Amino acid sequence: MVVEKQVLPFFEWLWQGQGDSFIDGALFQFLVLAAVLFVLGLVGGFLVSMIRHGPVAAGEITYRTLRGGATDLTRLSARRIGALAGLAIKESLRRRVLVALVVFALVLLFASWYLRTDNPEPARLYLSFVMTATTYLLLLMALLLAAFSLPGDIKSRTIYTVATKPVRSGDIVLGRMLGFSAIGAVLLAIMAVASWFFVTGSLAHTHSVDATTLEPITGIDGQPIGSGGATSFDAFHRHTFTVGVDGKGVTDAALGHIHTVDADDDRYTVGPAEGFIRARVPKYGSLGFINRDNARTGRGISVGAEWGYRSYIPGATPAAAIWTFDGVNRSVLREGADGGLYLPIGLIVRVYRSYIGQIEEGIQGSIQLRNPETDVATSLKIFTAQDATVDTFDFANEQTDTQQDEITILDDLISSDGRIEVVVQCLDRAQYFGFAQADCFLRLPEGSPLWNFVKGYLAIGMQMVIVVAVAVTASTFLNGPIAMVATVSFILLGFFRETFVKIATGQNYGGGPVESLVRLVTQMNVMSPFKSQDPNSFDAIDLMKAADEALKAGMQAFSYVLPDFSTYLGRVRYVAEGYSIPTDALVRDLVVCAVYVLGAAVIGYFFLRTRELAK
Amino acid sequence: MSGAPAAAAADDAPSQPETVATQNPVIETRALSKVYRDFWGRQKVRALKALDLEVYPGEVFGLLGPNGSGKSTTIKLLLGLLFPSDGQALVFGKQATDVSKNERIGYLPEESYLYKFLNAEETLDFYGRLFDLPADVRRQRIDELLKLVGIERARKRQLREYSKGMTRRIGLAQALINDPDLILLDEPTSGLDPIGTREMKDMILQLKSQGKTVVMCSHLLADVQDVCDRIAILHQGELKELGRVDSLLTVADVTQIRARNLSEDCRNELRDVIQRHGGELLELDNPTTTLEELFLSIVRDSEVRPGRRVVGAHHHAGGDPGPDDSGAS
Repeated sequence: MVVEKQVLPFFEWLWQGQGDSFIDGALFQFLVLAAVLFVLGLVGGFLVSMIRHGPVAAGEITYRTLRGGATDLTRLSARRIGALAGLAIKESLRRRVLVALVVFALVLLFASWYLRTDNPEPARLYLSFVMTATTYLLLLMALLLAAFSLPGDIKSRTIYTVATKPVRSGDIVLGRMLGFSAIGAVLLAIMAVASWFFVTGSLAHTHSVDATTLEPITGIDGQPIGSGGATSFDAFHRHTFTVGVDGKGVTDAALGHIHTVDADDDRYTVGPAEGFIRARVPKYGSLGFINRDNARTGRGISVGAEWGYRSYIPGATPAAAIWTFDGVNRSVLREGADGGLYLPIGLIVRVYRSYIGQIEEGIQGSIQLRNPETDVATSLKIFTAQDATVDTFDFANEQTDTQQDEITILDDLISSDGRIEVVVQCLDRAQYFGFAQADCFLRLPEGSPLWNFVKGYLAIGMQMVIVVAVAVTASTFLNGPIAMVATVSFILLGFFRETFVKIATGQNYGGGPVESLVRLVTQMNVMSPFKSQDPNSFDAIDLMKAADEALKAGMQAFSYVLPDFSTYLGRVRYVAEGYSIPTDALVRDLVVCAVYVLGAAVIGYFFLRTRELAK
Repeated sequence: MSGAPAAAAADDAPSQPETVATQNPVIETRALSKVYRDFWGRQKVRALKALDLEVYPGEVFGLLGPNGSGKSTTIKLLLGLLFPSDGQALVFGKQATDVSKNERIGYLPEESYLYKFLNAEETLDFYGRLFDLPADVRRQRIDELLKLVGIERARKRQLREYSKGMTRRIGLAQALINDPDLILLDEPTSGLDPIGTREMKDMILQLKSQGKTVVMCSHLLADVQDVCDRIAILHQGELKELGRVDSLLTVADVTQIRARNLSEDCRNELRDVIQRHGGELLELDNPTTTLEELFLSIVRDSEVRPGRRVVGAHHHAGGDPGPDDSGAS
């Protein structure tokens, strides 16, 4: 699922990151980066003016620019920035930015033809579709607006009337960033509202009760305890349901949702679909395995993909996957409708079949809770695993152990330091269950789906703001089309940052840019060695390798300023898959976004300030 | 004489050369040069060669020259839109690249480079906000300026619908939104009809009477002659002539007598007197030359002998250019 990389708590990320000391923290890394960029800018600026004016004048110019920059910082004016932001908004409206909304409406209309609700998880399909459409449309719009605005002003010379007012370059840059971000935010809000109603509207349906399926249900002693039946087949599915004697009941889950059922004498009313859009809050543990020889291992076995994310346990053997959860106490348990306490667990099983068997029936597995200190464990609970769906288990506080003695979770299964283990095994011979750490979690109380949806759109908004900031900065020293291309390259590299870093650090197959180009052109296998014929002499291959090393060093340096857009896309996946976006992630994304805006504004300021506007 | 209003205004303005020289100049350029280069740093054109200029408070100063002579370059250097290749440009004693000098400057560009999607009111409000003016001040100034330039009735119309003349007017209004002390006008009368031109010139004189310094560049010589106290003539980036308009245009060896109600006897007597003193009577009413002639002769001269400053080579007494050049009028 989504949370393959755990989100560090915000302050931990800020102060120490994944390492041990503050050196690995985001703050320190940022400060180092800022210092390096500052020195580079200083040296670069000095060199450029030295070529033009000679070393003495260059020193003076550099000093003046720097000092001017510092004093200008104190002279930024909210009113001027506001005026320029307002101008950017008016300019956007004049450039018919609202057409984007029309396009979005058309996209939704066409989507409703093609998207169907017979998907096993229709909410995921719909949500990921609308959010992806919003992302691309909004980023494109932000790019076009921001990259062409300042070059347009310079070209049409309207900048003359602005730059001859006491306007600081920082006002111009910040005003534009603010204005375009604001108009983008308005569009985003409209798209978000439209998306929400589109998704909820498309998924909304109800059923009637199929009277022929109704049956009374009686208890062991023959007392009637309610009735059960099935709903009509609507929107590609039906539900089975039970209704208690009080006339209240719920259906079983199908396609990721349920309905309430009210029985009033013979009239059964099925309520609207509930639980399509979720905001699960998982609490993750750490995963360990027991192999078929009953020994503890770090990973299960491989079923083909050696470096696959999940590893597997074979069925009908002692092999098991064991998750250990920390900090489990009374507050993690939830109160059920009947007033009892439950330990809510979510489990995702990847099923690997070595033979097909009865494909409809699923594979049997067992799950039990265990105390890591005393090894007291509950009796096995048998379940049928469907591939790649979230199974939910609610373990009541009152359990029986393997000896059929009465135990409780709170008293007997949680260790003195607040740990509890979840043990999962596969029961069918020659079938396999695949697990990764994030596949089992304690279900903390769910967040509001609407708020989670908003958080997802905030993540899209942050991408848009970064794009605006980068594009405006690029447009301070490049002309419109070039600024756009530069920004697009920046964004694309940001989306594939991981690959980019891999190439830069030499972790990929096929070598650096030059080497892979040669391999491409000569159709050379990536595994065959790229070596010169004669190891003693320096030849073309050595030269190419040296060029690659230089390029790779440059790429590695560049990767430090490259935004990781895949994290923002990851946030969208959270929403689509029905997980709550952690607040830590949201705050962190906001900080990263703010830092990009700040950095881009400073760089843009100096570029614009040192540029002759009347050329 | 068509320059009568200018001369009259000059008389009571505080721009008399004697007082001027003791004041700090509003604009001062020292060996200001501009070389345009291409991307590779190769020299394309020397647009301005070592310009030394001083403009004093309360003056109307004209920059004259044919197209490509460096007028606009000078203005852009003074505004900080271009950076000098060499030398210095000081405005109010500050470097021209210092943005804070713009607080006291109003600038009307050659064509009114304004945002066409704003209406007159929004335009002035926008530029007012760029000067960090509070809302009530902006509102008051907008009303005043729209009345001053006479486009009150079109205040809600987008600038894209404006005629050339109206665009010029709103351009002037935006240049005055901050009540500037120094006003730079790039071709202020271009595109205006004769009435509009007249109004623009009256406006310039009105600004002068308010004690403001005006620097304008133009190749419409009549306009310059009418309103400017002093002019500089540029050609191919070089300063060719600098001085008071009235003294530059005075024809020194000709005396003009203007009188009303002279009898024929009196005229004959005048002729006799002139003859007796060995004078040659050309005309009883002999006018000054026009600026146009002066301008053209300078350009012609410069083309024959490039690089040479044309000083006193003509039939006039403006041989000693400078702020303290006090020509008789």
